[in-house]
Amino acid sequence: MRAGSLTQSLVVMRKEIKDWSRDRRSIITVLVSSLLAPGLIFIMFNSMATRQRSAEDVTIPVVGASHAPAFVEWLGQQAGVTITDGPDNAEDAVRNRREDAVIVIPENFAKNFRVSRPAQIRLVADSSSQNSRPKVQRIRTLLQRYNSEISSLRLIARGVSPAVATPMQIEEVEVSSSQQRAATILGFIPLFVMLAAFTGAMAIATDSTAGERERGSFEALLANPAPRLAIASGKWLAGTVTAVVTVLITAALLFSMFRYLPLQDLGMRFRLGTPELIGTLAVVVPLAPLIVALQMYVATFAKSFKEAQSYLTFLMMAQMIPGMMQTMNPTTARAWWMHYVPWIGQQSLLTDVLGNKPIGPEVYAIVGVVNLTLAVLVVRATAGLLHREKIIFGR
Amino acid sequence: MIRVTSLRKHFGDVRAVDGVTFAAPDGQVTGLLGPNGAGKTTTLRMLYTLMRPDAGQILVDGIDAVDDPQGARFALGVLPDQSGLYPRLTAREHIEYFGELQGITGSELRQRTEHLLQMLDMTAIADRRVAGFSHGERTKTALARAIVHNPKNVLLDEPTNGLDVMSTRAVREIIRRLKGEGHTVLFSSHVMQEVSALCDTIVVIARGRSVAAGTPDDLRTQTGHQNLEDAFVALSGLEAEGQPS
Repeated sequence: MRAGSLTQSLVVMRKEIKDWSRDRRSIITVLVSSLLAPGLIFIMFNSMATRQRSAEDVTIPVVGASHAPAFVEWLGQQAGVTITDGPDNAEDAVRNRREDAVIVIPENFAKNFRVSRPAQIRLVADSSSQNSRPKVQRIRTLLQRYNSEISSLRLIARGVSPAVATPMQIEEVEVSSSQQRAATILGFIPLFVMLAAFTGAMAIATDSTAGERERGSFEALLANPAPRLAIASGKWLAGTVTAVVTVLITAALLFSMFRYLPLQDLGMRFRLGTPELIGTLAVVVPLAPLIVALQMYVATFAKSFKEAQSYLTFLMMAQMIPGMMQTMNPTTARAWWMHYVPWIGQQSLLTDVLGNKPIGPEVYAIVGVVNLTLAVLVVRATAGLLHREKIIFGR
Repeated sequence: MIRVTSLRKHFGDVRAVDGVTFAAPDGQVTGLLGPNGAGKTTTLRMLYTLMRPDAGQILVDGIDAVDDPQGARFALGVLPDQSGLYPRLTAREHIEYFGELQGITGSELRQRTEHLLQMLDMTAIADRRVAGFSHGERTKTALARAIVHNPKNVLLDEPTNGLDVMSTRAVREIIRRLKGEGHTVLFSSHVMQEVSALCDTIVVIARGRSVAAGTPDDLRTQTGHQNLEDAFVALSGLEAEGQPS
């Protein structure tokens, strides 16, 4: 681009940003979308923590406690467990969510137990209820522990070592750090940050292309001696600025919010500090220009603002596919080139960044170059569209 | 100076422009007169290089507009048939935006903008957003930004279309002024009175062709009609067809 063209594209950029900053609707979109992600995560984590805590201090309603006093006494002695009298109709109570889970001890329990026959005990639970799941899990673990304690005692009473009944001992060796495990849970962070880039640029990408077509202002603008590439790149730069600003706000909010999350209660130990924030930005920011360029290219085909928005909705869903695929089907073995494919790369690189896995500076550099090159190619293609009579005049 | 020779353009089966030839000399007002759909707008769009002709030549101050559209655009100021403004920008910002795109900056841009605002009697509305503008105010804004770089040649597509009396007078005043300053003014209209009141040369366009050109007097003698309107009807062949094409 010649020096004159560069000036012209900066003129276009300034105008588009000024125009955008006066559009209350687009400003609100940016604010809401950058607050939305941290807000959602905050609520999600807090309710998860509350559920976890409720599983530790658990109240177990027991029906028929008198049929197995020793067992109920043992249960009551376990840490954090309180025993209450169960409701008359246990199944109804659970079905109507009055109770999370109820233990029912039948009359014949004592008879069977005494003669070492499997004594039936019922755990009434509703597995479709998300909220009660940790609590039910806790009760199940307690029951299993009592089971194995009793079986060991019975074996010893018969002169048999309990080890005989344990043919295999399973020892799990965890090789990932707790930070890495947490990072897979945090897989939605890249998704939210990339989404921020998308929503941040959307207003300019549609208004400066389909909007110009709808208003009929393209004609006068393109009759200027400014080259099409200067005009297209000016609009692209403006969109990139708003995308990057939105990414910065969202990322800063996300990371500062993590300081206030009750992560210990969730058994998660990981660090999300400034290095992780910088790493995240270094991975996502280079993608922003490409996102904006694609949005503009697609929106240029639209005759109106509304048409452009519906096109962009499809584009937004398309860009979420790699992230969702990875969440549903996490591939442990990753090919080297995956880092450099837009979207897929961001997803896998961010898993590493948040998992404290070191990434070489050359990786960041290549990601930047690849994304920028692709963006420039798409902007050139958009400039090419501005030569088409159907685009300039088609309304 | 604009010179157009045997211009042709078709859209699918429709021959929108099918042989338009004329010249618009410096310091003169040339009017493209024709009924709706005659090919005036398409001709102008080819002139300001946003449409590519199928055949024919366009010279703007000697620059071939088909080979060097960018060069031609430097010498043109354009008011398209749609005034297409940005609702959230003020009138002044519109003028400055186009001025900057033309490479005008600093005090030169401020002076030029101020000059245009005064000339078009827009100082009172200069810093208001155009969202609430009347049709006349919008046209004035579009006109001001079109000539911010003081182009040698000014193309106006139906500049007075839909304007009230006062705005129409203001636009006519500007056209006369531009002529007085030595500009080439080419404008299109389907209104007889408009063209006869302003033009030195009238080019009559009908069904994609330039069917006659000359001063109003030339056209009267050519057709044998004393009334210019009758002359126009005879030239554009409206009577024979019964309906405008």
